[in-house]
Amino acid sequence: MKKYAISGLLVLSLVAGGASLAGDEFEAAWQAADDKRKEAAGMQSEWRDTKKMLDKAKQAAEKGDIDTAMSLVAMAHEQAADGIVQAEREAVMWITRVPR
Amino acid sequence: MLRKYAILLAAVMALAWSSTHASPEDDRMAFEKYFTTKFPEVPLNDFQNGIYSVDPVARADWEQIEEFPPYELAVDAGEAEYNKPFANGKSYSDCFGDGAVRAQYPYWDSERREVITMELAINECRTDNGEKPLKWNKGKIAELSAYMSYISRGQAVDVKIPEDDPEALAAYERGKQFYYTKRGQLNFSCFDCHGTGAGKGVRLEKLSPALGHTTHWPVYRSKWGAVGTLHRRFGGCNRQVRAKNFKSQGQEYRELEYFLTYMSNGLELNGPGARR
Repeated sequence: MKKYAISGLLVLSLVAGGASLAGDEFEAAWQAADDKRKEAAGMQSEWRDTKKMLDKAKQAAEKGDIDTAMSLVAMAHEQAADGIVQAEREAVMWITRVPR
Repeated sequence: MLRKYAILLAAVMALAWSSTHASPEDDRMAFEKYFTTKFPEVPLNDFQNGIYSVDPVARADWEQIEEFPPYELAVDAGEAEYNKPFANGKSYSDCFGDGAVRAQYPYWDSERREVITMELAINECRTDNGEKPLKWNKGKIAELSAYMSYISRGQAVDVKIPEDDPEALAAYERGKQFYYTKRGQLNFSCFDCHGTGAGKGVRLEKLSPALGHTTHWPVYRSKWGAVGTLHRRFGGCNRQVRAKNFKSQGQEYRELEYFLTYMSNGLELNGPGARR
C-alpha cells in the first residue's frame, strides 16, 4: 500500500512539475508576444486582433488548455512582428501613393 | 536584380524629394485633380455628397431619405442642448457665439502647438465652465456637432496651415503620412479604399471618393441608428482593415482630420449627412 502511495505521489509531483514548466514557458512566450505588440503599437502599426488573441490565450491557460494558449500566443506574436515589418516598409513606401 | 532594386530605390527617393518639396496647396490641387480626372462627370462641388456623387442608384435613395432627414431629431436635440445654460449660468454661446462655426475647424493653435477640432472645442467649452466632458463618438456631442454643422451649411471649407509655423506644417505632414500609410492585417491605406478604390464595390457597398469626405460630418448612419462623429468613422475604418483604431480626438486622428479637411478646401459644408 505504501509503495502505491509513494508511486502516486511521484506521478502527481511529475505532472505538477510538468504543468509548472509549461506554465513558465507560456508566461515567457506571452510576455514576448505582448512586448512585440507594444513595439508595433509604438510604430502606429498594431493590428486589431492581436490583443484579443493574447487575452484569449490567458483565458485558455487559466483553464489549463496550454496547447490552445500557446497557439494563440504564437499567432499574436506573428501578427505583431508583421505589423512592425509593415510599419518599416510603409515609412518609405507611403509617399508613392500621394497623387502628383 | 540589383539594378531593379536600384531603380526602385531611385524612384522612391525621387518621389520622397518631390513630396517634401510639395506645399499643402500643391497637395490639394493634385488631390482634387486626381478625383476630377477619375470622375469627370461629377461637378466639383458635388463631391461634398460623398458616395452619392458617383453612385446614381444610391443617390436616388438618398434624395428620398433627405425629404425626411434622419438627422433632424439630432439637430433639434443639439439646438436644445446648445441653448441650455451651464450650472454657472453661461452657455455654449459664450464659447461659440451663434454656433455657426464649423468652417473655423480644424485649426492649428499656435500657442498650444496642436490641432483643435470642433468636438474638442465643445468639450473644452464644457470643462472650462465646470461641466463634465461628453463622450467623443456619439450622443450629445454628435447632436451638438450636428446642430452647429447644420447652421454652418453653405460656408466654404477653409483650413489654414500657417506658413510661418513649421510645427503646423509638421502636423499636416503627419496627417498626410497617416492617410497614405497601409495598416492592419488587410494592409490598406485610407487612400487605397477612398482614392484608388473610389467608386469600386466592396461587398454590397461602393467606396466613396475622399474629396469632400469631411464636409458632411457628423453623419447619421443607418448602421449606427444615430448620428456619430468623424472620429468614430475613422476608428471604424481602421478596424475594418483590421488595424487597432486610435483614440478619438487623440493626436493621430486630429492631425488626420487637419490633412483631410484641408484637401476639401473650397467645397461647401453640408453637414450633417445621412449615410447607409
